[in-house]
Amino acid sequence: MNRDSAMPANLLRRKKDTKRGITYTMLLCGRDGVGKTTFANNLLESNIFSHKYNVVNQITAENESKVKVISPTKVVSYNSKNGIPTFMSELDPSRAQFEPGITITSTSVEIGDLADETANEDDIILFNLVNTYGIGENLDDSLCFDELTTYLEQQFDLVLAEETRIKRNPRFEDTRVHIILYFIEPTGHGLRELDVELMKRLSRYSNVLPIISKADSFGKEELAQFKKTIMKDVELYNVPIYKFEVDPEDDDLETIEENQTLASLQPFSIICSDVKDKNGSYVRSYPWGDINITTDNISDLKVLKNVLFGSHLQEFKDTTQNLLYENYRAEKLSTVTSPHIGASGKDNTANRASAAPSLSNFASLVNTGQFKSSQTLAMNLEGARTPELKEPYDNDQASPIKKMSQALKEENEEIIKNIKMESPLINDHNIPEKTKLRNISETVPYVLRHERIIARQQKLEELEAQSAKELQKRIQDLEKKAHNLKLREKLLRQQKDHSSSSSSLTTASSGTQLKKEDTLTDLASIASGRN
Amino acid sequence: MSTAAVAVPTNSVGISNLPNQRYKIVNEKGDHFTIMVCGESGLGKTTFINTLFQTTLKHQEPRRNNGPIKKTIDIDITRAVLEEKNFKLRVNVIDTPGFGDNVNNNKSWQRIIDFIDDQHDSYMRQEQQPFRKIKFDLRVHAVLYFIKPTGHGLKPLDIETMKKISTRANLIPVIAKTDTLTQQELSTFKLRIRQVIETQEIRIFTPPIDESILSNGSATEDNSAAIEHARQLIESMPFAIVGSEERFTNDKGVQVIARKYPWGLVEIENDSHCDFRKLRSLLLRTNLLDLILSTEEVHYEAYRALRLGNSNEENKDSSIPINTPARKLLSSNPHFKEEENALKKYFTEQVKAEEQRFRQWEQNIVNERVRLNNDLEDIQSKVKKLEEQVKNLQLKKR
Ligand SMILES: Nc1nc2c(ncn2[C@@H]2O[C@H](COP(=O)(O)OP(=O)(O)OP(=O)(O)O)[C@@H](O)[C@H]2O)c(=O)[nH]1
Ligand SMILES: Nc1nc2c(ncn2[C@@H]2O[C@H](COP(=O)(O)OP(=O)(O)OP(=O)(O)O)[C@@H](O)[C@H]2O)c(=O)[nH]1
Ligand SMILES: [Mg+2]
Ligand SMILES: [Mg+2]
Repeated sequence: MNRDSAMPANLLRRKKDTKRGITYTMLLCGRDGVGKTTFANNLLESNIFSHKYNVVNQITAENESKVKVISPTKVVSYNSKNGIPTFMSELDPSRAQFEPGITITSTSVEIGDLADETANEDDIILFNLVNTYGIGENLDDSLCFDELTTYLEQQFDLVLAEETRIKRNPRFEDTRVHIILYFIEPTGHGLRELDVELMKRLSRYSNVLPIISKADSFGKEELAQFKKTIMKDVELYNVPIYKFEVDPEDDDLETIEENQTLASLQPFSIICSDVKDKNGSYVRSYPWGDINITTDNISDLKVLKNVLFGSHLQEFKDTTQNLLYENYRAEKLSTVTSPHIGASGKDNTANRASAAPSLSNFASLVNTGQFKSSQTLAMNLEGARTPELKEPYDNDQASPIKKMSQALKEENEEIIKNIKMESPLINDHNIPEKTKLRNISETVPYVLRHERIIARQQKLEELEAQSAKELQKRIQDLEKKAHNLKLREKLLRQQKDHSSSSSSLTTASSGTQLKKEDTLTDLASIASGRN
Repeated sequence: MSTAAVAVPTNSVGISNLPNQRYKIVNEKGDHFTIMVCGESGLGKTTFINTLFQTTLKHQEPRRNNGPIKKTIDIDITRAVLEEKNFKLRVNVIDTPGFGDNVNNNKSWQRIIDFIDDQHDSYMRQEQQPFRKIKFDLRVHAVLYFIKPTGHGLKPLDIETMKKISTRANLIPVIAKTDTLTQQELSTFKLRIRQVIETQEIRIFTPPIDESILSNGSATEDNSAAIEHARQLIESMPFAIVGSEERFTNDKGVQVIARKYPWGLVEIENDSHCDFRKLRSLLLRTNLLDLILSTEEVHYEAYRALRLGNSNEENKDSSIPINTPARKLLSSNPHFKEEENALKKYFTEQVKAEEQRFRQWEQNIVNERVRLNNDLEDIQSKVKKLEEQVKNLQLKKR
């Protein structure tokens, strides 16, 4: 990846004072059980994160730890087909067949310089750790893809909205993800379709660093072989991962050497554990021997930590903010400025192929209803449409909400319509570019927020409908079961009565008799009948 | 299709020690045995097969390409013969491509299920011929399902696949690559898997225990040892296995098949390292006959009944369409400052109001969920009560 020339990254790098109060966001991505949570604990040298099915209310960052939790883990995004979240719940075997969807969480901590032992207390990083749950656990993971890219895009949108606001929000938090660690499972074979697709998608919004987790699955030679295979596949499928490239003209000798070494280590392989032995070191202990995970030559964990919090922190931030974000911003604004560019810009949006809110929502909002007069607005109309609101199950509670939002939308349209009617200039293609631009940039925040609202509303409605459906189904199942049980019970009773007097021949006929007369599925009556 | 040449017994599996009577039945029942492996890709299925052959049957020629094992891309059948004393058993091992690699893994079990069904089908056709001479029988007697060693649990794809297999063949779940799980992790993992299997009513193969022998008081020393062995097998299910193709010298100076790490040597045939020996014993010794008979009597019969009854069961999969409408962008550009401000103000207010409303809405959904969940729990407890009553009645009836 090219370094942005406007930002001499190596100048900023390693300069302590630039790090003060720095915000740094990392996302952990990878299939279920690949070791994300364990790594997160190791990274922060703590036990902040609890494992799946193993819900502990801890936050036990040790006293001497340089890590302070500022905002505990919270769900920032969630989506699922059946609408019932499983995040951080106990194991429920009776529901294990349900797809968990995807949950994205964020945890904010304040840390001293973990990579540098001699660092003083002023070197504080506000570190956001974003974790993902559910990838690889669904029969169909495309939902996860969409949710993840939407999340990343939204963080860009938030910054874009903030940048274009007239009055800045002093407490605005930049949540753009600077580095994504993609965990590769130690299969021994190459990259999978899922890995390739996901890394490709994610690399539009951030630096993607693939790492091999659970490297203790491999013997020495096997690991070397596996690393080679992965890098070969990265080339073969053109996966745009972060590479430690050198620029012979720009970089000093030290940097060149460092990057070359790092490049030769890629993909980093790690062995993690958040279990301590009696000496206080993190170990994995097996019947055939123990692994001390801090032992240097066994995994690249230490190197990786240094890269993440030391040598390349600034570079990761720079590429995300100056390159990826700028691209995104240019693309987005250009689609607003000119409908003609917009036509080509549309390809970009389509390329992203995500369900992310986009300006088209706003446009379609304007275009719904009777109002169809304006050329500017009506241009490129085909394809633009209101987000479909699914009927959230015939639930009366939901309908007032829907009505309300419908009314709201209509009101919005009305206002926009009025503005447009009263301002002939808006339909004029000859307004000076400057004014146009200014107006646009000032409208952007509102547009973006509106989109977010609509997207969120849509999602909520879907989730609501889905969860209602799911619960309904489960109730029905249970009712059926109860019904059957009741039948069996009756049958048994009769058998019991009969068996004393007559032969068991009557069983079959009494069974069918029963079925005829007893067609009720009403649970209440079954229950009350029983008691 | 590769064929391993006829084997010389390397170390005795003990098949020739089968009680006389059972031995005879095995011999009559076609004297062949078919095992299949399946599961997510890269879990060591191919390696396991090679391990099984190396520890049990000697390949006369080692694997052709001496590189690392490649991904399996086709169903592959290896045949071998297990010979002990006067006993001869033909063993077919079916390797399958791993699944779970794709973004959408719906129906990835289809190939495996089809294969199992096809074998039943081909057997049935041959049986229907006037001269019932069976030439070709690859009905699968045991399917080893490889579970990824996450330490967490079974996921929906595992459950669905296992359910599908369990209605067609003897299903034996195994935990793959156990050398990456600590003992603590392994025992929790086993427990969770058992819980899910039980609750989801997945029928796995369990060694039958003949209780009548015990209660009859006719238990001989031999019998009770067998029962004890079966108990042990059941307790260690799902079997935790490790696979390898290489041999190393262990600390006792013995050449063993093992995986070598800087932190130690994982011995495949060491009971304190993994359950490989238990699994092999179940497959090729103690429960060989049970597996063959139940395939014949339960699974094949079920298939026949289904086919002859002509009832075609079809599963409709409801897939939710992903809506990614192509959207086009338009711009709007309020001109007059005043209106613009008014609009902005209005917007801000709306945003606030909407956000408030969303919060309320979200809360409502949560509340509703809690309420419904409570209802469900009520119903569940009622069902449980009913179940108990039924049980009591059944007891009384006896
Ligand atoms: N062998 C080995 N096991 C590991 C390693 N890291 C983590 N594990 C174990 O793998 C299991 C799963 O690890 P988690 O960290 O919970 O995995 P995760 O990615 O957070 O899983 P989900 O939250 O389900 O997505 C745990 O039992 C860990 O102890 C490793 O480096 N080597
Ligand atoms: N740690 C560990 N690695 C294993 C074990 N068994 C196999 N492997 C390694 O896992 C990798 C994949 O093994 P395969 O046997 O090809 O896996 P597979 O299940 O056949 O894979 P597919 O054919 O793609 O489905 C190889 O590098 C093996 O060396 C094991 O028990 N433990
Ligand atoms: Mg986790
Ligand atoms: Mg294979």
